[in-house]
Amino acid sequence: MTRFIRYVSRHPGAMVGLTLLALQIASILFAPWLTFYSPEEADPLMSLQPPSAAHWFGTDVSGMDIYTRIVYATRINLLISIVAVAFAFVVGVPIGLLIGFYRNWMSALVMRVFDFIQSFPVFVLGMALVSVMGQEIWNVAIVLAVLFIPMFARLIRAEVLSLRERPYVSAARCSGATDGSIMFRHILPNALTPAIVQVSISIGLAILLTAGLSFVGAGVRMPTPEWGLMVSTGAQQMILGVWWVALFPGLAIVISVLSFALLGDMVKDLSDPTTRERL
Amino acid sequence: MSDRNSTALLKVDNLSVDFGEGTPQALSNISFSLGRDEILGIVGETGAGKSLLARSLLNLLPEGGRFTSGDIRLEGETVLGISEAEQRKIRGGRIALIGTNAKALLSPVETVGAQIARVLRAHRDCSQKEAWKAAVDLMVQVGIVNPERRAKAYPHELSGGMAQRIVIAMAMVAGPDVVLADDATLGLDATIQVQVLDLLVKRCRELGAGAVLITHDLGIVAHYCDRVAIMKEGRIVELEEVGKFLAAPKEQYGRALLDAARVRPTPMVAKVEDPVLEKQPETPLLDVRRLLKLFPIAGTPDVVRAIDDVSFSVKRGETLALVGESGSGKTTVGQCLVRLLDSDGGGITFDGADITTMPAAEFRAMRRRIQMVFQEPYVALNPRWPVKALIAEPLRLDPTLDRAATDKRVRQLIDLVQLPAGIAEVYPHQLTAGEQKRVGIARALATRPDFVVFDEPTTALDIRVRAQIIDLVRDLQAEMGMSALFITHDLNSVRSLAHRVAVMRYGKIVEEGDTEMIFSAAKEDYTKALLAAELPVEQGTAQRDRAETRRLAGAAV
Repeated sequence: MTRFIRYVSRHPGAMVGLTLLALQIASILFAPWLTFYSPEEADPLMSLQPPSAAHWFGTDVSGMDIYTRIVYATRINLLISIVAVAFAFVVGVPIGLLIGFYRNWMSALVMRVFDFIQSFPVFVLGMALVSVMGQEIWNVAIVLAVLFIPMFARLIRAEVLSLRERPYVSAARCSGATDGSIMFRHILPNALTPAIVQVSISIGLAILLTAGLSFVGAGVRMPTPEWGLMVSTGAQQMILGVWWVALFPGLAIVISVLSFALLGDMVKDLSDPTTRERL
Repeated sequence: MSDRNSTALLKVDNLSVDFGEGTPQALSNISFSLGRDEILGIVGETGAGKSLLARSLLNLLPEGGRFTSGDIRLEGETVLGISEAEQRKIRGGRIALIGTNAKALLSPVETVGAQIARVLRAHRDCSQKEAWKAAVDLMVQVGIVNPERRAKAYPHELSGGMAQRIVIAMAMVAGPDVVLADDATLGLDATIQVQVLDLLVKRCRELGAGAVLITHDLGIVAHYCDRVAIMKEGRIVELEEVGKFLAAPKEQYGRALLDAARVRPTPMVAKVEDPVLEKQPETPLLDVRRLLKLFPIAGTPDVVRAIDDVSFSVKRGETLALVGESGSGKTTVGQCLVRLLDSDGGGITFDGADITTMPAAEFRAMRRRIQMVFQEPYVALNPRWPVKALIAEPLRLDPTLDRAATDKRVRQLIDLVQLPAGIAEVYPHQLTAGEQKRVGIARALATRPDFVVFDEPTTALDIRVRAQIIDLVRDLQAEMGMSALFITHDLNSVRSLAHRVAVMRYGKIVEEGDTEMIFSAAKEDYTKALLAAELPVEQGTAQRDRAETRRLAGAAV
């Protein structure tokens, strides 16, 4: 714990990342107390108001308060992204470990399945799955998870392929370590770092994909507050000089993605004993 | 002598280097001079500042480094504080550096001939075609057979010794006045090392250049150098003519190094005098019969016969050394013994049981009795495990040990390999190479095995650490009475450790016999060549004569 505090105090990036994360958590927990309007209640009379004291970030085309919606959207966006990435991590990492460690027809088959999933255009796959399963928040999360599983599995597999040839793996085998012990105690801890860094990048990517799916009509629907959806509705008015509808949710995405990228660096440094003491 | 110093080719005066205000000095008050046609050896252990000194002489300090005092003069003219363009002319032109690991120094995407030609053109005005021809000529001079074809080869197609020759050729291109060789033969086989050094020294003599050989091998110093500088913690603690140094080092540290480098005096006597052992029936503990290991060559139906019909046996309490150069198959034999590799034919009998046909699960129980100490100490330890976990790992083979008993045993083992108790919580990268090696040995000995394979136990270690490890292994072996197979190319350590020696070449054992017999009366030419390549820490007659002539010449002037 003291190491953690010392690290954060010396790394302004980690400090910023943690602050932004705290901000997002506060938005999730205290949204009703931080805002003054309802996130889903349209007020046609107040359509497209520029930022003012009453509406800090202005209003959108249906007259909904953008600030309020951005705060509430944190819940949806982070929930979808974190659930999707966590699921993909928990499933993808063991698969990657197994197909990297055991090189047989099974692992070859799994790799071809991954090729198949990843060769599909993201949006076609997303639209197909969502249209089959229904346009629910959870379905968006499942689509993202399916997309991310091959990513984590490949990342881990690539690491395992090189790590399994390391002399310390041979040394462990000579010391009587079983396959399971070699995989989970020797290889996995050394293979995880890139996957952990990938988690934060994936959360950012998930936020962007959620937005994209909403844009093509395969994601969440209006009036659910969701950053990507808000950007896409705002994009239509951008050419009319109405900049605030798209800008503020866009900034929210940037801040959220940035915070997870910074946290990823921190986790990477703290998880590696060879860099840990230099901190 | 004083006359030669006044016209010194290279003169380093009171040179100090540090890495920023308040940091300790990385080099402090280094002074020495180098004459034409002279070879100076710089010896020290890891971290003594040898390589930094070499880089200082080229004014190529690493990031953050700076000169705090002193001067470097090349034929009386300073090389510090001159323009970048002038420095470039000196680097490679008048002072050439030959580094360790030639393959890494050569660009992998360009043919070696083109690389030599490029260096040539940087220092001499000539056409592409002339440069290529000159490059081929240079390759002939550094003893490369078939130079036209080799010139078109890429570095990965060459052996380590060949690549080192190319680097030497490149260093000699512009006819430098000073050649710096920074551990230029590290990692090469002994026979190749001698060839490369002979060549380097010969070329320097031909050019009349002065050379600085940076090394941790006093054998090299004894054989090739005129004077030796002993470095420790960034200073030169002793600077002496080699003959005088070998006869009587002045400083305590120099003496310690010299003692450590000499062959440990008593070769271990086989325990045949032990009455218990003598009464035992003559069934060897380990018996290898006609072992065969083939590696397919990718894309062809051919195979490499890595182990080709190898037979040997090791009795209880006996140590067999398997010596040979890289690629001889000796490490493959070791890996077959501990079943890291499956053999393709023949049998390995351990204490009456054939371990080549044993199911993996059954052999796992056997691992308690057959252990291996791995070659490279650092990479054979999981970087994320603290020392205590590393040492405790093999103890899991013994299901009767509970947590407390394991902890106790780990403490005993740490003590056994003479490491401080506090090391238990430390991670491998925080250890020195010697400590890492000790941890590796502790791991192998944890289960009190009957048989241990030591793969290159002394390579890549500093002189004193090497001697310590040899002593440690010897003591432990005497104490625990285990049998061992030593896989090594370091003949020096064989003499102090092994009862018998088997010499391997191209996957076959070419000669086998008692250690003393092999060293005193080898039959095979190959064994003789290996022995001849060993550089004992004594001055050769040629060197002595040269030193004598020099002194007389100096006195005459």
